[in-house]
Amino acid sequence: MEIKKILIANRGEIALRVERACRERGIATVAVYSDVDRAGLHVLEADEAYRLGAAAATESYLRGDKILEIAKQTGADAIHPGYGFLSENADFADACERAGVKFIGPPASAMRALGSKTRARQAADAAGMPRTPGSTTGLASVEEALEVAEKIGYPVMLKAAAGGGGKGMRAIAKPEELPGAFESAKSEAERAFGSGEVYLEKLIEQPRHVEIQVLADEHGNCLYLGERECSVQRRHQKVIEEAPSAVVGAELRRRMGEAAVRLAQTAGYTNAGTVEFLLDKDGNFYFLEMNTRLQVEHPVTELVTGLDLVHLQIDVAEGKPLALRQEDVTLRGHAIECRVYAEDPENQFFPSPGKITRLLQPGGPGIREDCGVYEGWTVPMDYDPMLSKLIAYAPTREMAIARLLRALDEYVIGGIRSNLGLFRRILQDEDFRRAAIDTGYLDRLLSSGPARECEREPEVKLAAALGAAVLETRRTVSTNGASGGGPAERAWKLAARREATR
Amino acid sequence: MKVYLEIAGERREIQLERAADGLYRAVLDGRAVEVHAEELRPGVLSLLMDGRAYRVVAEETVESEDWAVHVGRERFAYRMDDPRSLRSRLRANEHGDGPRTLKASMPGRVVRVLAAEGDAVTVGQGVLVIEAMKMQNEVKSPKDGVVARLLAAPGDAVGAGQDLAVIE
Repeated sequence: MEIKKILIANRGEIALRVERACRERGIATVAVYSDVDRAGLHVLEADEAYRLGAAAATESYLRGDKILEIAKQTGADAIHPGYGFLSENADFADACERAGVKFIGPPASAMRALGSKTRARQAADAAGMPRTPGSTTGLASVEEALEVAEKIGYPVMLKAAAGGGGKGMRAIAKPEELPGAFESAKSEAERAFGSGEVYLEKLIEQPRHVEIQVLADEHGNCLYLGERECSVQRRHQKVIEEAPSAVVGAELRRRMGEAAVRLAQTAGYTNAGTVEFLLDKDGNFYFLEMNTRLQVEHPVTELVTGLDLVHLQIDVAEGKPLALRQEDVTLRGHAIECRVYAEDPENQFFPSPGKITRLLQPGGPGIREDCGVYEGWTVPMDYDPMLSKLIAYAPTREMAIARLLRALDEYVIGGIRSNLGLFRRILQDEDFRRAAIDTGYLDRLLSSGPARECEREPEVKLAAALGAAVLETRRTVSTNGASGGGPAERAWKLAARREATR
Repeated sequence: MKVYLEIAGERREIQLERAADGLYRAVLDGRAVEVHAEELRPGVLSLLMDGRAYRVVAEETVESEDWAVHVGRERFAYRMDDPRSLRSRLRANEHGDGPRTLKASMPGRVVRVLAAEGDAVTVGQGVLVIEAMKMQNEVKSPKDGVVARLLAAPGDAVGAGQDLAVIE
C-alpha cells in the first residue's frame, strides 16, 4: 500500500517533524489544531488544516472521534500520532483500523500487551529478559505488598501500572513506610490514570537510564538501532539525552539490543518503539518499560545511525519489509539533545508560557534544531511547555558538548523564561563531562545550590548598559513616528491601564 | 540626552550623543567612550567598542516594566530610572507605604482565593493561587496590610501582568 496523504494528530515540533518527512516523500499532509494553535507552525506548513476545538486537550488533540472524521473526509490514508496525546491509546488504534485508516504505530494488541507496566513485566518474563525483582501483577492489599517487599528486600519502589512521569511512584526504605505510601500512590494513580493498580519492584541504586530503539516491520523482521542514555532527569522527566551511552560497549549493546528485539517480537510489535532499561553500577541491565511510539529524543539516534526514523515508520506502515539488516546498522559519532522548555529554573522550574518577543536560533556545523516556535508566537499554557529540541552532533562526546555549548551561546529566547541556562550549567559540570551520571544526578546538582555566578567582565557590563541606552533612545524616537511597541509606548499603555483600573 | 539606568543591580548615568551614522559618544559615570551601534533588525544590535564586538539583544517582555538585554550568553535585567519619566514616577508609588497591587506573573487560571476582602494579611502570605500548565503558584502579599480589593475570582482566566488584588 502506498500512502498518499497523512493526517498528523499532534501539534508543535513533532507535528512539524512529521510534515517535513511527508513533504520529502511527496506525501500530502493534513494538520489539526485547537483554538490556541491556529497560528502554530504545524498549521502553516501543512497542505490542509482543520480545527478540532477549544484549547483543552480533551476538546482537541484527544478527540479521536473528530480526528478520524477529518481523516475520512480528507481522504487521508494514514494517521501519524506523534508522541503524547493519542499515540499510545490502543482504543484509538483500533478505531483507525476499523475505519480503514492506517495507524502509524504498533497494532492495538501490542500496545495492550506492553502498555500496562505489570503486563509488560509478564511479557518480559515470556521473552526471557532481565527485569527488576518484584511483582508482575497488581497488588491487592497492603499485606500482599509487605510480603513481596520482604521477599525482594528493601529498598523497594512502588509504581503505578498505568504510570508515567513519576506519578504514583514511591521509593520505600523500610516496612513502616509501606502502608501510607501504598494508599497515597494508589489514589494518585487513580486520579492521574483512572487506574489505581500498583506493583512493587526492587529499587536499583543510582541507576543509569539506557533505552534501546527498535524497529519492526510487518513481516517478522526486527532491528535494534543502538541505545540512548537519558540519565539526566528532573523528577523522572528527561532533560538531556545522548547517543551512544558513554558506558555501553559493543557487547552490552548487543545483549541489550537482542533482549529488546525479543520483547518486541514476543508482543507482536511493529513500527518504531523504545525499550527502556535501568543499568546498575555493575553493568547489569533491568527491563523498565516499553514506549510504543516515536520518542521525543529520537533525533539523537537518527544522527548517530544516519537513518530517518519517520521515513522508516512510513515504510513500515506501507507494508514494506525493512531494507536493512542488523549488521547494516552502525553507530558513528556522538549526539546530545537538550529539551528546551518554557520554564524558569530560578523559580522552581515553574512553567513560563507567553509571547516569545525575541528569538535568535543557533545554526552552523553539527547543529540540528527541531523547533515548534517562532518570534511572535504565544506559547499556550494548555500543553507541555517544550519549545524546541536542540541537538549537537560531532565525532566525539567531548566535541558534541563543546558544540552544544557554542550553540547555546548563540541562542536567545526573549519574553518568556527558558531553561537554556540550566543546560550550560550541566554541560560545564565536571561529573556530566566525565559521564558520571545516573538518574539522581540532576536533582543532586540542583540541590547543591544555585549556579555559581561567574564574575561578569566590566567591559561586558559596559556594553550592556550602553546597548540598553542606545536601544532606549532609539525606541523613544521611533515611537514618535508610526512604528510602535517600544518601551515608551508600553509605558504609556501601562499608565493608561492603571488609570482605567483606579 | 541623559539616561539613568539601573542595570545588574547598579545605577548608572549615561550621557549619550548621537554623532554620525551609528556612532555614539557616551559619558558613562564620568568616563568617555565611543561606541558604534548597528541595529541589524529591531532589537538586535551589533555594538563595536574599542575594537571589540558585542551582540546586544533586547528582550521585550510584553506586559512587564522590567526589560532585559542579552549580551552574548548573559542576560542583564534593567530599569530606566529617570526621575522625570512617567514610568519611574509610577513605580515610585508602588514602593512606598501606599496600596500595592498584586499582579499575575504569568497567564493562567485562578483556582483558589485564600483571603477575602477586608482580611488582614502579612508579608509573604498567599492571597490567590494561579494554575498554569497544571502547576499551581501562590501569589503572595508584598506587605503587611489589609486586602482592600479582590479583582479576580476562582475560575477566572488571567493574563500576565493583570491586576489580581489590592493590598492596603
